[in-house]
Amino acid sequence: MKQFIQTNRNRRRVLVVDDELINRELLSAILSPRYEVVQAENGAEAWELLTTSEQPFSLVMLDLFMPVMSGFELLEKRRESEEARAVPVIVMTSDKSAEVKSIRMGAADFISKPYHLPDVILARCERIIELNEDKSIIRYTERDALTELYSKEYFSEYIRRLRPDLKGDVDAAVLYIEHFGMLNELFGRAEGDRILRETAGLITRIIISSSGIACRTDGNSFRIYRRHCDNWEELVERVQTELSSLSPSKGLRLRAGVYQSVDPELDTESCFDRAKAACDRIKGNYGRNTEFYNRELHELEMHRQRLIGDIDEAIENGDLRVFYQPKYRISGERPVLCSAEALVRWQHPRLGMISPGEFIPLFEKNGLIGKIDGCVWREAAAQVGKWKEKYGFTLPVSVNVSRVDIFDHSLECKLCSLLESFGLKPGDLMLEITESAYSDNAERLISLVGSLRSCGFPIEMDDFGSGYSSLNMLTTIPIDILKLDMSFIRSMMLDKKSLRLVELILDIAKFLGVPTVAEGVETEEQLLTLKKMGCEIIQGYYFSPPVPAERFSEFIEKEIMQST
Amino acid sequence: MITIEKLSGFGANTAEGLARCCGSEALYLKLVNMVPDEEAFGRLSRAIGENDRDAAFEAVHALKGVLGNLSLTPMYDVASRLTELLRSRSETDCEPMLVELLKKRDELRELCAG
Repeated sequence: MKQFIQTNRNRRRVLVVDDELINRELLSAILSPRYEVVQAENGAEAWELLTTSEQPFSLVMLDLFMPVMSGFELLEKRRESEEARAVPVIVMTSDKSAEVKSIRMGAADFISKPYHLPDVILARCERIIELNEDKSIIRYTERDALTELYSKEYFSEYIRRLRPDLKGDVDAAVLYIEHFGMLNELFGRAEGDRILRETAGLITRIIISSSGIACRTDGNSFRIYRRHCDNWEELVERVQTELSSLSPSKGLRLRAGVYQSVDPELDTESCFDRAKAACDRIKGNYGRNTEFYNRELHELEMHRQRLIGDIDEAIENGDLRVFYQPKYRISGERPVLCSAEALVRWQHPRLGMISPGEFIPLFEKNGLIGKIDGCVWREAAAQVGKWKEKYGFTLPVSVNVSRVDIFDHSLECKLCSLLESFGLKPGDLMLEITESAYSDNAERLISLVGSLRSCGFPIEMDDFGSGYSSLNMLTTIPIDILKLDMSFIRSMMLDKKSLRLVELILDIAKFLGVPTVAEGVETEEQLLTLKKMGCEIIQGYYFSPPVPAERFSEFIEKEIMQST
Repeated sequence: MITIEKLSGFGANTAEGLARCCGSEALYLKLVNMVPDEEAFGRLSRAIGENDRDAAFEAVHALKGVLGNLSLTPMYDVASRLTELLRSRSETDCEPMLVELLKKRDELRELCAG
């Protein structure tokens, strides 16, 4: 690897700092066959380049007498910054007395003016760069004691040095041993350590022939940086097979993410972020060991990052709009409007309408959904208040309570103070809690539901039947309404078993004395079937899609007319 | 148009200058062509006119570096003497050396233009 660095010097960057254009041009001509030369007219410009440039410099060639900021001043300033100190400086001077002073101030060497012959200058530059690189690599602890792969810091530094010289395509990959914690628990730490060492050995075999390097990052993940190859799947599979045969646990699984042919402009850390994003994509997908960072993933990632970046602005500017979908009670002769569900829509100023299916899961994952929920609750509560005032009619609206909200210990307080602000009773705001929250932390959910109900909030169990719900949950959590997952409604008309299942759930709900809401009802046939089986409340496109508050008012007005 | 021959006639050590330019005649002549317009000449004349010896030192020091690098010996020698004079902070009049240096510069300018 070292040899590899030394034989490809041409793309290292050298900063030539001199106020005289002729001198800069002359030095550039001397150095450019071997280095990429960047010029600066004075110390201040050089400082700016040294501290802000994304690509590192390998050397500074510094004139001493310059306007704005002299070479001495730059040497002085350089002491402040670790980044700048890492780049060696050769001072160019015609002044003997300045030579000693500059060495004392941290210069690595000096070249006198008029310049020596080009070969001499090149040889001196080369020597200083090499000395400095050796020194900075030695600074890092080279090896991970357990696996004998490079340590993460050393690995990063090595790549930083290596990258400018690597010609052709390079791949960045992350490799992750799944369920490693379990392995440690079940078979002991010594066994876990053995597996890590074995994995490192297998990885070394992958990279040894490809001028690649590898390191262990945290615990059970590894990074690989090597020449591009097309058979990553095969390589990972090979490691997986060997590892399985060595491991006492049958469940040991490798997961790899590969960012192929990395963008040479992208910093190393971001390259591995991309590899990791690919790796995360197959989390839980046991059919695949290797995933690649591709254009689709890239665009998706960019889009997500953009949404995350824009959410605060969206909340501030009111781009998050609350739509209302009516729920009708169908147990009587004619459907009666009984409540509505508040659903969020994002009218993005540049991207247009963004589907909640796109952004809700994203914000659920990073916890920002709490912010969105709070915003929807406030808006919905305000709307219920407005309708109450306008029509003298209270239409309860249900709002979603996400999994992160469940761990918010001030949740009850927040909701109660909202009611107070808009002059509502607790029954005016109904809370929908998704069934899957039960499996996260049943204990917390049970106590929260109890406390919210004692405040007077009706609780709806949302998406019932979509996850791994146990019927036991229905008896341990005191709920007021059960919402059937819309997938049931879709499938029940297609196969008998689903239909029978819906019927069973409705029977259980009846037995528990809990009314049921069917979501996603689109056709009259669905409605009649549900009605026949005893479902009381219907929500879906059959009646109306979610609509803005202004349009929803029409449903209220119609209902008032019909009931009088 | 200036040529290596004309420069040698002027007294420049063209062999050395060329070697420093990695043997490239084109580069050497291009850089030499830039010399008469060096703004340090203006700075030097102004500083000496205003008797600002520090500014004069900086300007001539800069010129000396450039002239030396291009091995323009007749000019480099004058610039070196003037640099040392200014460095020594003696009261000696700088004007004659400045005139000498500017005269050489104008000669070079003519060579470049001619």
